[in-house]
Amino acid sequence: MEHLSYSTRTAFHSLMKEKWINLLSSLTVAASLLVSAMAIITIFNLENFTRTLPERFTMVVYLQDSVSPEDTQKLIGQLKNKDYVSGTKYISRDQALNEMKRTLKDVSNVLEGLDENPLSSSIELKLKKESVTAPAVKKISEELKKMPSVGDVYYEAKIAETVYLLKTSIENMSIIILCIISFVVLFVISSTVKILLYRRKTEIEIIKLLGATGGFIRAPFLIEGGVIGFFGGIFASIGATVFYYSLTTSFSAFMPILKTMVLPVEIVVLLPIAGLVMGVIGSLISVGRLRL
Amino acid sequence: MISFQNATKYYENKPVLKNIDLSVSKGEMVFLTGPTGAGKSTLLKLLYASELPDEGEVTVGDFNIGRLRPAEIPLLRRSIGVVFQDFKLLENLTVYDNIALALRVRGRKEKDIKGLVLEILKNVHLRHKSDNYPLTLSGGEQQRVVIARAMVSEPSVLLADEPTGNLDPDTSKHVARLFYEANIHGTTILIATHNREMYKNTGKRVVRLENGVLLGEEIG
Repeated sequence: MEHLSYSTRTAFHSLMKEKWINLLSSLTVAASLLVSAMAIITIFNLENFTRTLPERFTMVVYLQDSVSPEDTQKLIGQLKNKDYVSGTKYISRDQALNEMKRTLKDVSNVLEGLDENPLSSSIELKLKKESVTAPAVKKISEELKKMPSVGDVYYEAKIAETVYLLKTSIENMSIIILCIISFVVLFVISSTVKILLYRRKTEIEIIKLLGATGGFIRAPFLIEGGVIGFFGGIFASIGATVFYYSLTTSFSAFMPILKTMVLPVEIVVLLPIAGLVMGVIGSLISVGRLRL
Repeated sequence: MISFQNATKYYENKPVLKNIDLSVSKGEMVFLTGPTGAGKSTLLKLLYASELPDEGEVTVGDFNIGRLRPAEIPLLRRSIGVVFQDFKLLENLTVYDNIALALRVRGRKEKDIKGLVLEILKNVHLRHKSDNYPLTLSGGEQQRVVIARAMVSEPSVLLADEPTGNLDPDTSKHVARLFYEANIHGTTILIATHNREMYKNTGKRVVRLENGVLLGEEIG
């Protein structure tokens, strides 16, 4: 405890003494964290958006014309039991025709002269979210086509592909961005601590001669790195909040979709913590190399 | 307590200490004399592992300097108080904090530190300068701060490199008295000095070193 109190005082003394270099480091860390915060906010909102896409996805199973009502009920029952199906809706041939008439009411002459209903009855399937991926949907469609009574299966392939593509590219992008930013933050903090170590070379030598252990010498630098990172995180949180409000107010005039953006509150809290942790790790990288 | 057995130290392939055989018993006070460049400071540096012997053995208490593991170096240094010739005071710390640092590295509690530091400051007549920074002090005052820092932890071994080098005769006598008092309390002391007055008529061993070779010893 005594040791910690001394290390903290020494760290804060040094932080104040070298305030400009430390402020500059904090701002550099803030800039890096802000980039990652902006990326996370974008990813979060894109994820939100893609999450709603599966809900809009429908797969239509067209029945063969010869299917009896009993077989239709049997098929509906079988489909309901599939673990990837979240809902079914039966549309009879008459309902389909009425729907078509409603849709084409402005060009109703198109349907004139039809002696009989050319449409098939169908079952609309809603799939579970996790099943709305391009490969899964393709597999399901092939499986359904093989079922008795099924004439054909139709689905909007693009929605499934878009969901799949967006999700995978968002995940990959977020991993790449977070790796780059983590590297930048660690580099900035370890470089700053290296400069501080160099400036305090003589001081460290003297403390070593007095019998200080490695931990005693390193602790203030770890605290300094942590504080630089923490303040970097706070600046980044402020920046992220300003970024969010700018997007949802000023910029939404040009792109109304921005109004629907959400600021994940966790990020405002997590940025200073991430800065603190990275600051300590960055310092560890530098002081770990210190020959004691 | 302190022992050199055939110890040799080279700097750039030139021997600065040659086949040193010297022992200082527990509780003894020994003076090391000789001209500038004789190797006195190097001999002291071997004792606090700032330098390592190239040949022979150097021991301080249970520590064999040539075979120290890195983790043992702080332990050795905590058992020793050193008065450095170039002071080695931290300019950004006050007199109080410079002295307290010697106790803090030893993990002493702040409430104990205050009493010990103020007491030693009184002994070296610098109580009124506790809040000053080293650069605002005279050479003599800085030297007394260094002595206070070396003594405050009551180490079992005290090493001093020209401890009266910057002091006027009166202060020198006062400082010498501090060393004798520590010695009376059982501290083993090795002092490298030019100052004959410090060891004259003391009845203590005086070892003479020249060109890295021990020439012999006499009683002061």
